[in-house]
Amino acid sequence: MSLRTYIAKRLLHAVLIAWGVMTAAFFLMRLGPNSPADKYIASLGAGHNVTAVVAAIESRYGIDKPLHEQYFNYIASLLQGDWGWSFGTSMPVMELIKTHWIYSFQLVLLSSIFAIVLGISLGMFTAVKKNSRADHIAAFFSFAGISIPHFWLGIMLILIFSVKFGWFKTYYDTSLPMLSLENLHALTLPVFTLGTGMVAGYSRYVRSAMLENMGKDFVRTARAKGLPERTVIGKHVFRNAMLPVITIIMLDMSGIVFGGAYITEVIFGIPGLGWMSLKAVFADDYSVVMAVTLIGAFVTLLFNLLADIAYIYLDPRIRYE
Amino acid sequence: MRLAAYYWERTKRQRPAMAGLAFIIFLIILAVSGPFFTVSPTQVNFDEKNIPPPGFTLEQSIYNASSGGFVTTVQRGTWEHPLGTDGMGRDMLAMLISGARVSLLVGLLATGIAIIIGALIGITSAYFGGAMDSVLMRATDIFMTFPFLLLLILIVYLFGSSLTLIIMAIGLTGWTGTARLVRSETLSLRTREFIMASKALGASHLRIIFYHLLPNTLSSIIVLATLSIPGAILAEAALSFIGLGDPQVASWGNILNAGQGSLQTAWWVAVEPGMMLFFTVLAFNFMGEGMREAFEPGGD
Repeated sequence: MSLRTYIAKRLLHAVLIAWGVMTAAFFLMRLGPNSPADKYIASLGAGHNVTAVVAAIESRYGIDKPLHEQYFNYIASLLQGDWGWSFGTSMPVMELIKTHWIYSFQLVLLSSIFAIVLGISLGMFTAVKKNSRADHIAAFFSFAGISIPHFWLGIMLILIFSVKFGWFKTYYDTSLPMLSLENLHALTLPVFTLGTGMVAGYSRYVRSAMLENMGKDFVRTARAKGLPERTVIGKHVFRNAMLPVITIIMLDMSGIVFGGAYITEVIFGIPGLGWMSLKAVFADDYSVVMAVTLIGAFVTLLFNLLADIAYIYLDPRIRYE
Repeated sequence: MRLAAYYWERTKRQRPAMAGLAFIIFLIILAVSGPFFTVSPTQVNFDEKNIPPPGFTLEQSIYNASSGGFVTTVQRGTWEHPLGTDGMGRDMLAMLISGARVSLLVGLLATGIAIIIGALIGITSAYFGGAMDSVLMRATDIFMTFPFLLLLILIVYLFGSSLTLIIMAIGLTGWTGTARLVRSETLSLRTREFIMASKALGASHLRIIFYHLLPNTLSSIIVLATLSIPGAILAEAALSFIGLGDPQVASWGNILNAGQGSLQTAWWVAVEPGMMLFFTVLAFNFMGEGMREAFEPGGD
């Protein structure tokens, strides 16, 4: 099988999964007892003919049609780039996402950079100093980092650095310009909250991958021919250890980051996609929840695909079928 | 049983695992015996609100009805409430013990459900193969791709936040990892001689699955289960933290949620449940990791 066929096959698979997630989410939301019209009516107040209003809303948004018809209509509009209408905020879902995605993106991007740089350095260091005192201390801290509930970590950081010392605001300030030092400063605690667990995880992966390669024959050969230790570790061991690590990091991006970013946004009041979708859930704003679910699934599938492709490019020995 | 004793011998040598086990046993004893020695965790008493733990003080302005003004009083911790009280005067110790009960219940039951579903799907998938395998594995892929937390939030929001439903929801969404693991283990077992022999002797599918395949994957299942418990506990805590927990019971997530609102005054309300959560998750992780090392063949 050529590489192109392989990628095409994987793409097809991804489309199938995305369709499955979409279908499951669609019917799950329609199974619920609440109609999106309910919250709207509650805000109307007295003096309205409720039955007429419900009927009008439901026919306006096509909720009165049979379920299968709604389903096909939803797919049709999705394919045309129409993500539906948000009842809660009275704007197209697409517009809503356009204003909110950047907040999630900057948080995830900065946390990933923080976690990758620190995690890889820590992993390399502990692998080289295996079984030393520093290695044991790092092992303990990475266990703690993996186990600490990040929503509690976030609250503790707020308690110590915002409430006690007053170095940061207790809430994320959205009025700051995106590309400014003030914004970076405001994101310090959220990035630390989200990144800690990732640093802990990555440093363990890197350490074990490095150790696995250190015992290999080619490393002994490199040492035997008199290469300096720097080159042996930095080039021979590190580059080979990075192969599995890159895949793991990419697969993690979707899982840990998407789950963790969600709560981190809620704690710090960052108006990203997670914060937005939680508000939408409480407002019965289903088209928004649908959209965020789909974006989450797309991101996961995209990174899975990228991980596969990266692996093939980085390691020519990999055979795909 | 001999095998269990052998594994126990090997696990016993892992010191962090034993420390984790000790903490979990302590927690179970606390959770079971708690109601006999603590006050009710839901008993509200506004006269005793925001009492700090012994050794700490808190300045509070309290409205005095007879003089019609605010009086600043200094609250001192008392041993009557060894961990203080929250903003509604509920005893923190009693609430934390109730939370321990909730967390253990969620962790064990939800993981149990997830493991059973995952093991059944994984074994069926690998044992029968073919179309059954592709259908089940595609379903697993779809479940894995669904944003996990959002799915949980949605289910709990739509169908009501009772503890039973939360446990079911976490169990029903958390089986994918087990399914994958059991499937790959079964695939490598399926063509081994003893399975072939059993088949040749006319054993039924059910017999092969339950007498031969399942027992041979059990050690990996147990390790995975132990390492999955923290995820279930954290999922419940996250749900309660964002306000979707069972309002009838005090859980660590609920308390933490209330604690975030009172960070400026009563810091201990947020600190204490998080500590419990942290140590519990750490204990299960230590135990799971120790068991993984002990169960690994030849890895001493």
